[in-house]
Amino acid sequence: MMRVSAEHSWLLWLLPLALLPLAVSSQRLTRVSSIAAGPLDGLSRAIGWSLRAAGFLAIGGLVVALSGPYRQGETITRTGIGAQVSILVDRSGSMNETFAGRQPSGAEESKAAASRRLLADFVGSRAHDQFAVTAFSTAPMLVVPMTDRHEAVRAAIAAIDRPGLDYTNVARGLAMALSQFGANAANVSRALLIVSDGAAVIDPRVQGALRAEFARIRPNLYWLFLRTKGSPSISDKPSGEDTPQAAPERHLDLFFKSLGTPYRAFEAEGAEAVADAIGQIERLERDPIPYTEQRPRRDLSRWAYGLSLIGLLALVAGKLAEADPSLRRRRGRVDASVVEPATSRLAA
Amino acid sequence: MTVPEPMPDIVYRPRGRVPGTVAGAHRGRDAGGLGTFRDQVPFLRMPDARRIDVRATLRDPFEGTYVRRFESRTSIEVWALVDLSASMRFSGEADRMELVSALCGCLAASATRIGDAFGLMGCDATVREDVLLPASRRRSIAAEVASRLAGAACTVDRADGMEEAARRLVGRPKIVFLISDFRWPDAAIANTFSSLARHDLVPVVVADAAEEEGLPEWGLMELDDLEGAGRRVVFMRPSLRRRWIAREAERASTLRRIATAYGRPPFRLSGRFDPDAVSRHLLAS
Repeated sequence: MMRVSAEHSWLLWLLPLALLPLAVSSQRLTRVSSIAAGPLDGLSRAIGWSLRAAGFLAIGGLVVALSGPYRQGETITRTGIGAQVSILVDRSGSMNETFAGRQPSGAEESKAAASRRLLADFVGSRAHDQFAVTAFSTAPMLVVPMTDRHEAVRAAIAAIDRPGLDYTNVARGLAMALSQFGANAANVSRALLIVSDGAAVIDPRVQGALRAEFARIRPNLYWLFLRTKGSPSISDKPSGEDTPQAAPERHLDLFFKSLGTPYRAFEAEGAEAVADAIGQIERLERDPIPYTEQRPRRDLSRWAYGLSLIGLLALVAGKLAEADPSLRRRRGRVDASVVEPATSRLAA
Repeated sequence: MTVPEPMPDIVYRPRGRVPGTVAGAHRGRDAGGLGTFRDQVPFLRMPDARRIDVRATLRDPFEGTYVRRFESRTSIEVWALVDLSASMRFSGEADRMELVSALCGCLAASATRIGDAFGLMGCDATVREDVLLPASRRRSIAAEVASRLAGAACTVDRADGMEEAARRLVGRPKIVFLISDFRWPDAAIANTFSSLARHDLVPVVVADAAEEEGLPEWGLMELDDLEGAGRRVVFMRPSLRRRWIAREAERASTLRRIATAYGRPPFRLSGRFDPDAVSRHLLAS
């Protein structure tokens, strides 16, 4: 609920002054011997009451404005459609290459730039999604914690095509990305989106901890594999020894599959494929999500000043529309003195 | 003290013949030995041998003796009953109380000049003892009337004292000037008039053009009732002004209807006091 309070609340004790227009009027008083002489008139009565209301508004508005009203800042929890998405972005050096495995030149787009562009659209598309962005290379970097400030998230995503660092350390990145989900609300749909162009071996000692973490949080896991042309696919069995060291992608895929959480891998070999994959993710993650909205403290005195301005303008208009019977009388007298010699001449 | 500029007298003529024995300026009901010739009566009706009309006596084939009768001139008391309710404080084109004071002063001077007594009675909710001057023929009463009226405060919002004043005006019929703005209920007007019906009643309506033709065509006016009936905003426009003036005219005609039923039509005192206009009105009605 909206809570309003005032800076100098003691000034509100002056509010009874707003009833002053009931007793005193700003208009010039025309004293008449009997008020019943003036015919009753609906329009006049309406104007009379609106002038009173204007006086009430003017004084009351000024008192309220001087007391400095404001709406207290608060946190509101609402429910919308969306998901908590933790984005884990690979920042290894190979992300700066094109899908063809070269340094980008001319109109070509690096993998990082393409994913940046598409992810940026993904972030803005639904109002109540919450995002966290984590980058990883050798060490994981927390870029933006879980937030619904899409501006910040877009800024974070805009930064992922900065020249990357060398290695790919998936395990620690995953751990940090998972830690972004926090503990609240079990019924929220959660998604972990991994954007990478390669994989690395996950240390078996860490694997256990990761499994436990996945089992607790149960995110939907999406792996957007930006595959460089010619490099092995996720499903390709290596011709030689089938060890994690020889085919890290395949083994990471296997590890994800073994987690028991919903998992999909998208293998994208170009910008369009990435767009397809993101579109699919967007369609899949449609669940109600409670989200909080921060409302800052807001100064309301300008509204109060505005109201009193309306009242004051009405009063000024009333004042300007005022009839001055004495002026008319004086003018009438002047006319009479002008006319008189003429009539006397006629009489003569 | 400034010398007041000479003002023409108000000439008035009582209705009918005035009873009474005090010699004065008006035609008396009683016939006496002095004055203008009135008629001839048989000697036995008025055995006054000094006024035997020889010519008429000789002319009579039945040999009756006739005596001339002459109309006696009698004086009459002139009273001014002044409404002192708060609405008389109104000051538009002219100050209402100043007008009233000028009228009463002039009446007092005119009455005393021809030997009539003048009395003043102010009324609000009751008869105001501070504005009460018993009828007197002394010439100084005019100044006294003016000073009493100038010092009179009009504060009360009713004029019920008029009926009490009527009860106080006992004795022979008098000329009574009933001076008010007649902003009373119709019933109160009729009551007052009927209780004063014995007298030769001259209603004087103190009006003001500012309340009628002087109203503005356009604009906002906040009316403040002098009798404390509240305030009201009125948005003047030609149609409302017409309605207002029509209402005032209707009120004036109602008053005229009531007044003529009990005596003379009302005299409208507005803007400027003109003794000749009063005289014309009094002689015409």
